[in-house]
Amino acid sequence: MGRAYRAVFGMRAKMELQYRGAVLGGFVCQVFFGLILVSLYRALYRGRPQALPIETVASYVWLQQAFFRMLLSSDNDLADKIRTGDIAYDLCRPVDMYRFYYARIAAQKLVGSLLRGVPMIVFAFLLPKGWGLMPPASPLALLCALASLTLGLLCVSAMENITMGITMRTLDPRGVQALLNLLMTLMAGNILPLTLFPDAWQRVLSFLPWTQMLDAPIRLYTGVRETSSVWGVLGVQIFWTAALGLLGMELWKRNREKLVLQGG
Amino acid sequence: MSYIEVRNLTKTFTVRKKREKGRLFREKTSVRALKDVSFDVEKGELVGYIGPNGAGKSTTVKILSGILTPDGGSVTVGGLVPWRDRKEHVRRIGVVFGQRTQLWWDVPIMDSFTLLREIYRLREADWKARLDELVQRLDLEKLLSVPLRQLSLGQRMRSEVCGSLLHRPDLLFLDEPTIGLDAVSKLSLRDFLKEENRLNKTTVLLTTHDMEDVAALCSRVMVLGHGSKLFDGELEELLSRYDTARIITVRYDGEVSLPALPEGCEARGEGGAFRVVYDPAAVKTAELLALLQDAGAIRELTARTQDTDRLIAKMYREMEL
Repeated sequence: MGRAYRAVFGMRAKMELQYRGAVLGGFVCQVFFGLILVSLYRALYRGRPQALPIETVASYVWLQQAFFRMLLSSDNDLADKIRTGDIAYDLCRPVDMYRFYYARIAAQKLVGSLLRGVPMIVFAFLLPKGWGLMPPASPLALLCALASLTLGLLCVSAMENITMGITMRTLDPRGVQALLNLLMTLMAGNILPLTLFPDAWQRVLSFLPWTQMLDAPIRLYTGVRETSSVWGVLGVQIFWTAALGLLGMELWKRNREKLVLQGG
Repeated sequence: MSYIEVRNLTKTFTVRKKREKGRLFREKTSVRALKDVSFDVEKGELVGYIGPNGAGKSTTVKILSGILTPDGGSVTVGGLVPWRDRKEHVRRIGVVFGQRTQLWWDVPIMDSFTLLREIYRLREADWKARLDELVQRLDLEKLLSVPLRQLSLGQRMRSEVCGSLLHRPDLLFLDEPTIGLDAVSKLSLRDFLKEENRLNKTTVLLTTHDMEDVAALCSRVMVLGHGSKLFDGELEELLSRYDTARIITVRYDGEVSLPALPEGCEARGEGGAFRVVYDPAAVKTAELLALLQDAGAIRELTARTQDTDRLIAKMYREMEL
């Protein structure tokens, strides 16, 4: 067991490595957005300084930009397979569809965001203080953030596999993807750092699935969440990963039961 | 007990109609894709499965390959129920969907074959031996390092067939495998399939619209229409039922006008060239020939049967499909 899933993970990772032009394009685009957002917050701070230091906000923005690829649903290849019916081939393999696609989605997100994220982090480190990314709050904070980021990847992959499961019913990924991407960029803190929201809002948001993906690890990295509260953070992440995973499995199971394939 | 046993298979799809004006919800209608289909296939048989578009052919294949669950009836393949014992069942079958692809678009096809090795959990040595054999027989050596997107359709189809046979399936479903292929590719693919059937006793179920495929590969043919089986037997027998008309093409020296031909003859053409379609059971061939000969000096005369596609079209018409 597991051979097929490891193999499809490797295959999708390898495929992602082929799109170097897209990586460069993504990098340039994310740098642009990052600079704009940081300038915006700097201007805001000049008018009315906030309790949270600007260095933390800038770091939040850069880490969000670095792992942007992880958030957005972007395995178009897989969505196309479902839309055109090529998925028929995958349906007659001796594998569990949910796990097969989970491995594929996770590979794409991991490699896709590492390829963009690593150069982006290096770039953001080189920017002057108050503009760029600051070092982690402590070595322990970095460790906690990495653990949390790993869980974030597992959680976001589970969420995207639900999107794919829904696509099997609607046959067009665009509607549900557009909706979820909007929710995602907003609720995960990609457009506005969630650390700037009113405290009461933040408390509610931190229990929603979207903050489990990037917001949680970034808070640990920047020290907004103390390392002493790491188990609470990881606990909520584990809960959502499991919940979304179970929901996805159930959806895929039902899909198989009432399946209609497109074409021929 | 036969290798494949299909009994009283039924499958109904629920299709949503376009929403009518003034209604809040769309109405649903059900389409009966299969009504009470039964057949047996023995191990090593090559069976053609034909019928017009929408007859239920693909539905049957999808049920047999464990993708769809039927509403009623029973199916066993080698003693397994496809949708219930799915994982075990699909390990023994191979599928080629002519209009779809199982190989990865942007990576060399060799990588796709390696992935298949992992998916079917094949032993390295078995996989390697089978791959070498198929690569040689399908002439894929030079293509292994090429990404799928750079291959021609013919090369792609050969690669797809290779991918579907790597795990040595006992049963192979071919869904329009020659669609869009040029004559050379078609012929070589047919030869390959015949050989595969002979060498490995692979049972083959071929759905196609290309009657040449059926004629070249299958001795037995099943006709499906509106979800029911209409014919099951030898291709020759099927054709002889509908293959009643003969066609005579005649060319004269110079301009000639045809005499009145007996009832039941259909003549077309002008000047010195005509095409006469008739039924030898209704019109005496000798009589017809005599009339044609009297009309002028014949330079050239050919007689032949109707082409298969026409026969099939006629058959579908008569079966009211």
